[in-house]
Amino acid sequence: MSTLIPRSVIVWRPLVATLVLHALLIVVMTMNWSSRSQVTEPTVLVPKHIQARLIDAEMLKPKKVKKAAAPPAKRVVASKPVAKPKAATVKSKPKPVPKVAPKPEPVVVPQPAQPSAEERRAAARDELSQALAAEDVLLEEASDRDIASSYVSLISQTVQNNWSRPPSARNGMEAELIIQLVPTGEVVSVTIARSSGHMAFDRSAVNAVQKAGRFEELQQMPPRIFERSFRQFRLLFKPEDLRY
Amino acid sequence: MEEQLSLIDLVLNASITVQAVMALLLAASVASWFMIIQRIIYFRHVRAEMLEFEELFWSGTDLAAIYNEGNERAAAGETLGMENIFRAGFKEFSRLIKQGGVDTDTVMDGARRAMRIAQSREEEKLEQHLPFLATVGSTSPYIGLFGTVWGIMHSFRGLANSTQATLATVAPGISEALIATAMGLFAAIPAVIAYNRFAAKVDVTVGRYDVFADEFSSILVRQTYALAARESAKAKQA
Repeated sequence: MSTLIPRSVIVWRPLVATLVLHALLIVVMTMNWSSRSQVTEPTVLVPKHIQARLIDAEMLKPKKVKKAAAPPAKRVVASKPVAKPKAATVKSKPKPVPKVAPKPEPVVVPQPAQPSAEERRAAARDELSQALAAEDVLLEEASDRDIASSYVSLISQTVQNNWSRPPSARNGMEAELIIQLVPTGEVVSVTIARSSGHMAFDRSAVNAVQKAGRFEELQQMPPRIFERSFRQFRLLFKPEDLRY
Repeated sequence: MEEQLSLIDLVLNASITVQAVMALLLAASVASWFMIIQRIIYFRHVRAEMLEFEELFWSGTDLAAIYNEGNERAAAGETLGMENIFRAGFKEFSRLIKQGGVDTDTVMDGARRAMRIAQSREEEKLEQHLPFLATVGSTSPYIGLFGTVWGIMHSFRGLANSTQATLATVAPGISEALIATAMGLFAAIPAVIAYNRFAAKVDVTVGRYDVFADEFSSILVRQTYALAARESAKAKQA
């Protein structure tokens, strides 16, 4: 019934467990728990006055095949989809392509072109609406990016306004800061991701962010954009007004 | 110069005294955890053995059979807890009975004494290491505090020597000194919890040993009287 506890159980097991526990603890304590996010935002906003976008050649390709299938008489139909994107976009040269394509075709395909003038028109419209939808997505992304970068420039402006220049700061110094924000615009933490190599400058940058304390404008930002780019983001602090 | 203070740097740059305190506390923590885990295993084992033996004891098996069954293991020193108490009591009892002519009270006294001795030995085994846990639990916060005070003293002395007094000159010293307190607490908290828990467990176990010893001696009393009655009947016949 009763046996003495074997030595491996009463000595080695506790020993191993103890050492593992402490090793784990030390590892946990010495590792820095800063999670690195790769969100890097541009700091300078280049204002875009005209929303112009190139349509990818891929988007147009299926249409070209259709057009090629159509005999030259259908030019009217073909020209329609070309005309529309022109209004919204700057077009790469799709025109010369259909001109080249139709020439070898008429020999082979007078028949298949026959059945569906209507159908083809509908298909072309579909193609067009698909292309437009894809373009909308792209545009939306682009506008998100614009909004984000406008906020970034706003933040960096605020930070620079709050910055007191240390006397030893020189031109061309830049530090990359990781700023954590909450949706109210309050700064949760600031750390230096990449030092300028100059401690006073780094510290002054961190101080500037902390002094700014709260970026109220962020409250108006759509939460989607906030969550994506501002929960934690990198700010390149590169003041422009250095005199030397 | 590096801005980020890592824990390792802090520990490595600490003064000798603080480092010694930290090493001491780490050793205390390791030792107390070793003992905690060992005690947990031991108590679990003791409890399982106790339940098993109680079951066997109350199953109605002949006491002599139970005693003989454990002979080999007892010779190898493998019996534990309640069984040891039983063996000590039964051995003394059968020896005294065998001698014959000893009156009932003496037999019972002898058996009870043997059981008490065995029980106190078992208690000793159960309580092994517990004083160490109590010591770690009560002193390591003070040791840690000593390290902290020493470290802060050290860093303030450094502040007195430097011409430009900023927070940055004392902050690392204080930070490293506080690690000592943290370590002291880290060693102490589990030790105190474990000590309290184990002390309660020892109490429960010892209580069960007591109850068992009483029950067993009442059985022995019954047997002695039965034997005495038989002997007197024999004497009358003769």
